[in-house]
Amino acid sequence: MEKNKWPPGDLVIWFFIMAELLVFGVFFAAYAFTRANNIELFNEFQLTLDRNAALINTVALITSSYFVVRAVAAIRDDNSKRCFHWLLAALFMGLVFLVVKGYEYHHHFSLGINLNTNTFYMFYLSLTFFHFLHVILGMIILLAVALKARTGGYSAAEHTGVETGASYWHMVDLVWMILFPLVYVMR
Amino acid sequence: MEDKKFIRPCTIIYLLLLALTVTTWFIGTKGFSGMQISLMVLGFALIKGQLIGDYFMGLKQVAGFWRWTVTLWLILVGCLVSYAFSLNA
Repeated sequence: MEKNKWPPGDLVIWFFIMAELLVFGVFFAAYAFTRANNIELFNEFQLTLDRNAALINTVALITSSYFVVRAVAAIRDDNSKRCFHWLLAALFMGLVFLVVKGYEYHHHFSLGINLNTNTFYMFYLSLTFFHFLHVILGMIILLAVALKARTGGYSAAEHTGVETGASYWHMVDLVWMILFPLVYVMR
Repeated sequence: MEDKKFIRPCTIIYLLLLALTVTTWFIGTKGFSGMQISLMVLGFALIKGQLIGDYFMGLKQVAGFWRWTVTLWLILVGCLVSYAFSLNA
Protein backbone atom coordinates (compact mmCIF):
# COMPACT_ATOMS: atom_id res chain seq x y z
CA MET A 1 0.00 0.00 0.00
CA GLU A 2 1.43 3.34 -1.08
CA LYS A 3 1.97 5.81 1.73
CA ASN A 4 0.73 9.39 1.75
CA LYS A 5 3.12 12.30 1.63
CA TRP A 6 1.03 14.41 4.00
CA PRO A 7 -0.83 13.59 7.24
CA PRO A 8 -4.68 13.51 7.25
CA GLY A 9 -6.54 16.82 7.30
CA ASP A 10 -5.32 20.36 6.72
CA LEU A 11 -1.54 20.63 7.08
CA VAL A 12 -1.92 23.80 9.15
CA ILE A 13 -3.50 21.82 12.00
CA TRP A 14 -0.37 19.66 12.13
CA PHE A 15 1.85 22.68 12.72
CA PHE A 16 -0.60 23.68 15.45
CA ILE A 17 -0.51 20.14 16.88
CA MET A 18 3.29 20.17 16.93
CA ALA A 19 3.31 23.50 18.76
CA GLU A 20 0.80 22.18 21.30
CA LEU A 21 2.80 18.99 21.83
CA LEU A 22 5.97 20.99 22.45
CA VAL A 23 4.22 23.14 25.06
CA PHE A 24 2.83 20.09 26.85
CA GLY A 25 6.24 18.40 26.57
CA VAL A 26 7.90 21.33 28.34
CA PHE A 27 5.16 21.21 30.99
CA PHE A 28 5.72 17.48 31.56
CA ALA A 29 9.50 17.94 31.84
CA ALA A 30 9.02 20.84 34.26
CA TYR A 31 6.76 18.67 36.41
CA ALA A 32 9.23 15.75 36.42
CA PHE A 33 12.32 17.85 37.19
CA THR A 34 10.55 19.86 39.89
CA ARG A 35 9.36 16.60 41.41
CA ALA A 36 12.98 15.38 41.55
CA ASN A 37 13.69 18.10 44.11
CA ASN A 38 10.41 17.63 46.01
CA ILE A 39 9.82 13.89 45.93
CA GLU A 40 8.26 13.57 49.40
CA LEU A 41 5.88 16.46 48.79
CA PHE A 42 4.82 15.15 45.36
CA ASN A 43 4.36 11.57 46.64
CA GLU A 44 2.32 12.74 49.62
CA PHE A 45 -0.10 14.94 47.73
CA GLN A 46 -0.36 12.66 44.70
CA LEU A 47 -2.18 10.25 47.02
CA THR A 48 -4.94 12.86 47.50
CA LEU A 49 -5.90 12.62 43.82
CA ASP A 50 -8.86 10.52 42.69
CA ARG A 51 -7.39 7.75 40.49
CA ASN A 52 -10.82 6.27 39.80
CA ALA A 53 -11.94 9.58 38.32
CA ALA A 54 -8.73 9.64 36.26
CA LEU A 55 -9.48 6.12 34.99
CA ILE A 56 -13.01 7.14 33.94
CA ASN A 57 -11.60 10.19 32.19
CA THR A 58 -8.91 8.20 30.39
CA VAL A 59 -11.48 5.65 29.20
CA ALA A 60 -13.78 8.52 28.15
CA LEU A 61 -11.06 10.16 26.02
CA ILE A 62 -9.88 6.90 24.44
CA THR A 63 -13.48 5.95 23.64
CA SER A 64 -14.14 9.40 22.25
CA SER A 65 -11.06 9.13 20.03
CA TYR A 66 -12.22 5.72 18.83
CA PHE A 67 -15.64 7.18 17.96
CA VAL A 68 -13.90 9.91 15.96
CA VAL A 69 -11.95 7.24 14.05
CA ARG A 70 -15.30 5.63 13.23
CA ALA A 71 -16.66 9.02 12.12
CA VAL A 72 -13.76 9.47 9.70
CA ALA A 73 -14.30 5.92 8.39
CA ALA A 74 -18.01 6.67 7.90
CA ILE A 75 -17.41 9.81 5.83
CA ARG A 76 -14.77 7.98 3.76
CA ASP A 77 -17.60 5.55 3.08
CA ASP A 78 -19.70 8.57 2.00
CA ASN A 79 -22.11 8.17 4.91
CA SER A 80 -22.67 11.66 6.39
CA LYS A 81 -25.43 10.53 8.72
CA ARG A 82 -23.31 7.83 10.34
CA CYS A 83 -20.39 10.25 10.53
CA PHE A 84 -22.64 12.75 12.37
CA HIS A 85 -23.80 10.09 14.83
CA TRP A 86 -20.26 8.96 15.65
CA LEU A 87 -19.23 12.57 16.20
CA LEU A 88 -22.18 13.08 18.56
CA ALA A 89 -21.09 9.98 20.50
CA ALA A 90 -17.53 11.36 20.65
CA LEU A 91 -18.86 14.69 21.93
CA PHE A 92 -20.83 12.90 24.62
CA MET A 93 -17.66 11.17 25.85
CA GLY A 94 -15.92 14.54 25.83
CA LEU A 95 -18.74 15.85 28.00
CA VAL A 96 -18.23 12.92 30.40
CA PHE A 97 -14.59 13.99 30.70
CA LEU A 98 -15.56 17.59 31.49
CA VAL A 99 -18.13 16.55 34.11
CA VAL A 100 -15.76 14.15 35.90
CA LYS A 101 -12.89 16.65 35.81
CA GLY A 102 -15.25 19.36 37.02
CA TYR A 103 -16.24 17.10 39.91
CA GLU A 104 -12.54 16.68 40.79
CA TYR A 105 -11.95 20.43 40.69
CA HIS A 106 -15.03 21.05 42.83
CA HIS A 107 -13.71 18.58 45.39
CA HIS A 108 -10.29 20.25 45.54
CA PHE A 109 -11.66 23.78 45.66
CA SER A 110 -14.15 22.88 48.40
CA LEU A 111 -11.14 21.81 50.50
CA GLY A 112 -9.55 25.21 49.91
CA ILE A 113 -6.93 23.82 47.55
CA ASN A 114 -5.68 26.25 44.90
CA LEU A 115 -2.56 27.12 42.88
CA ASN A 116 -0.89 28.55 46.01
CA THR A 117 -1.42 25.47 48.19
CA ASN A 118 1.92 23.86 47.25
CA THR A 119 4.15 23.08 44.26
CA PHE A 120 2.43 19.78 43.53
CA TYR A 121 -1.02 21.32 43.34
CA MET A 122 0.34 24.24 41.33
CA PHE A 123 1.48 21.73 38.68
CA TYR A 124 -1.56 19.47 39.01
CA LEU A 125 -4.11 22.27 38.66
CA SER A 126 -2.30 24.20 35.93
CA LEU A 127 -1.43 21.11 33.85
CA THR A 128 -4.86 19.52 34.05
CA PHE A 129 -6.71 22.82 33.57
CA PHE A 130 -4.58 23.66 30.53
CA HIS A 131 -5.56 20.26 29.13
CA PHE A 132 -9.19 20.82 30.21
CA LEU A 133 -9.28 23.97 28.05
CA HIS A 134 -7.96 21.93 25.11
CA VAL A 135 -10.77 19.42 25.58
CA ILE A 136 -13.29 22.29 25.41
CA LEU A 137 -11.65 23.68 22.26
CA GLY A 138 -11.57 20.20 20.74
CA MET A 139 -15.27 19.76 21.47
CA ILE A 140 -16.10 23.09 19.84
CA ILE A 141 -14.19 21.97 16.73
CA LEU A 142 -15.92 18.55 16.72
CA LEU A 143 -19.31 20.22 17.16
CA ALA A 144 -18.67 22.49 14.17
CA VAL A 145 -17.59 19.48 12.10
CA ALA A 146 -20.61 17.47 13.27
CA LEU A 147 -23.06 20.23 12.34
CA LYS A 148 -21.54 20.50 8.86
CA ALA A 149 -21.62 16.70 8.47
CA ARG A 150 -25.30 16.74 9.47
CA THR A 151 -26.16 19.03 6.59
CA GLY A 152 -24.19 16.92 4.11
CA GLY A 153 -21.24 19.28 3.99
CA TYR A 154 -18.74 16.44 3.64
CA SER A 155 -18.43 13.54 1.25
CA ALA A 156 -16.10 10.66 0.48
CA ALA A 157 -14.39 12.91 -2.07
CA GLU A 158 -14.02 15.95 0.23
CA HIS A 159 -13.79 15.52 4.00
CA THR A 160 -10.66 17.45 4.95
CA GLY A 161 -12.60 19.21 7.71
CA VAL A 162 -13.50 15.91 9.40
CA GLU A 163 -9.88 14.71 9.28
CA THR A 164 -8.62 18.06 10.56
CA GLY A 165 -10.97 18.07 13.55
CA ALA A 166 -10.18 14.40 14.20
CA SER A 167 -6.43 15.04 14.21
CA TYR A 168 -6.78 17.79 16.80
CA TRP A 169 -9.03 15.63 18.99
CA HIS A 170 -6.56 12.72 18.87
CA MET A 171 -3.81 15.14 19.98
CA VAL A 172 -5.91 16.04 23.05
CA ASP A 173 -6.23 12.31 23.76
CA LEU A 174 -2.51 11.70 23.13
CA VAL A 175 -1.46 14.35 25.66
CA TRP A 176 -3.72 12.84 28.34
CA MET A 177 -2.07 9.43 27.78
CA ILE A 178 1.14 10.92 29.26
CA LEU A 179 -0.53 13.24 31.76
CA PHE A 180 -2.56 10.51 33.45
CA PRO A 181 0.33 8.22 34.52
CA LEU A 182 2.75 11.09 35.13
CA VAL A 183 0.53 13.01 37.57
CA TYR A 184 -1.71 10.28 39.01
CA VAL A 185 0.39 7.10 39.07
CA MET A 186 4.18 7.48 38.75
CA ARG A 187 5.81 7.83 42.17
CA MET B 1 -15.20 -3.84 2.32
CA GLU B 2 -12.58 -1.10 2.57
CA ASP B 3 -14.46 0.31 5.55
CA LYS B 4 -14.35 -2.99 7.41
CA LYS B 5 -10.62 -3.34 6.77
CA PHE B 6 -10.09 0.16 8.15
CA ILE B 7 -12.19 -0.26 11.26
CA ARG B 8 -11.18 -3.73 12.40
CA PRO B 9 -7.57 -2.90 13.41
CA CYS B 10 -8.75 0.29 15.10
CA THR B 11 -11.12 -1.69 17.31
CA ILE B 12 -8.25 -3.94 18.33
CA ILE B 13 -6.11 -0.88 19.07
CA TYR B 14 -8.97 0.60 21.11
CA LEU B 15 -9.19 -2.54 23.25
CA LEU B 16 -5.42 -2.58 23.65
CA LEU B 17 -5.48 1.04 24.81
CA LEU B 18 -8.18 0.20 27.36
CA ALA B 19 -6.20 -2.79 28.64
CA LEU B 20 -3.03 -0.70 29.12
CA THR B 21 -5.07 2.02 30.82
CA VAL B 22 -6.66 -0.38 33.30
CA THR B 23 -3.23 -1.92 34.01
CA THR B 24 -1.82 1.55 34.72
CA TRP B 25 -4.77 2.37 36.98
CA PHE B 26 -4.36 -0.95 38.84
CA ILE B 27 -0.69 -0.19 39.51
CA GLY B 28 -1.71 3.24 40.77
CA THR B 29 -4.44 2.02 43.10
CA LYS B 30 -2.18 -0.67 44.59
CA GLY B 31 0.30 2.05 45.47
CA PHE B 32 3.24 0.40 43.70
CA SER B 33 6.16 2.80 43.53
CA GLY B 34 9.82 3.05 42.62
CA MET B 35 11.96 3.71 39.60
CA GLN B 36 11.23 0.43 37.79
CA ILE B 37 7.47 0.67 38.30
CA SER B 38 7.49 4.30 37.16
CA LEU B 39 9.45 3.42 34.02
CA MET B 40 7.11 0.55 33.26
CA VAL B 41 4.06 2.82 33.62
CA LEU B 42 5.79 5.43 31.45
CA GLY B 43 6.52 2.70 28.91
CA PHE B 44 2.82 1.82 28.77
CA ALA B 45 2.01 5.50 28.22
CA LEU B 46 4.54 5.78 25.37
CA ILE B 47 3.15 2.64 23.72
CA LYS B 48 -0.37 4.07 24.00
CA GLY B 49 0.82 7.34 22.49
CA GLN B 50 2.47 5.52 19.59
CA LEU B 51 -0.68 3.48 18.95
CA ILE B 52 -2.80 6.67 18.90
CA GLY B 53 -0.35 8.34 16.53
CA ASP B 54 -0.07 5.36 14.20
CA TYR B 55 -3.66 4.10 14.07
CA PHE B 56 -5.96 6.91 15.26
CA MET B 57 -4.10 9.88 13.79
CA GLY B 58 -3.27 7.77 10.73
CA LEU B 59 0.46 8.46 10.72
CA LYS B 60 1.28 4.84 9.94
CA GLN B 61 0.06 5.54 6.41
CA VAL B 62 2.26 8.62 6.03
CA ALA B 63 5.80 8.68 4.66
CA GLY B 64 8.66 11.02 5.51
CA PHE B 65 8.95 13.65 8.23
CA TRP B 66 5.31 13.71 9.31
CA ARG B 67 5.35 9.95 9.94
CA TRP B 68 7.76 10.48 12.84
CA THR B 69 6.45 13.66 14.51
CA VAL B 70 4.49 11.92 17.28
CA THR B 71 7.22 9.27 17.70
CA LEU B 72 9.90 11.94 18.14
CA TRP B 73 7.76 13.80 20.67
CA LEU B 74 7.17 10.60 22.64
CA ILE B 75 10.90 9.78 22.62
CA LEU B 76 11.75 13.31 23.77
CA VAL B 77 9.17 13.33 26.57
CA GLY B 78 10.04 9.76 27.54
CA CYS B 79 13.77 10.53 27.82
CA LEU B 80 13.25 13.75 29.82
CA VAL B 81 10.77 12.21 32.26
CA SER B 82 12.87 9.04 32.67
CA TYR B 83 15.97 11.10 33.38
CA ALA B 84 14.12 13.27 35.90
CA PHE B 85 12.76 10.20 37.69
CA SER B 86 16.24 8.63 37.73
CA LEU B 87 17.57 11.60 39.73
CA ASN B 88 17.54 10.74 43.44
CA ALA B 89 16.48 7.18 42.56
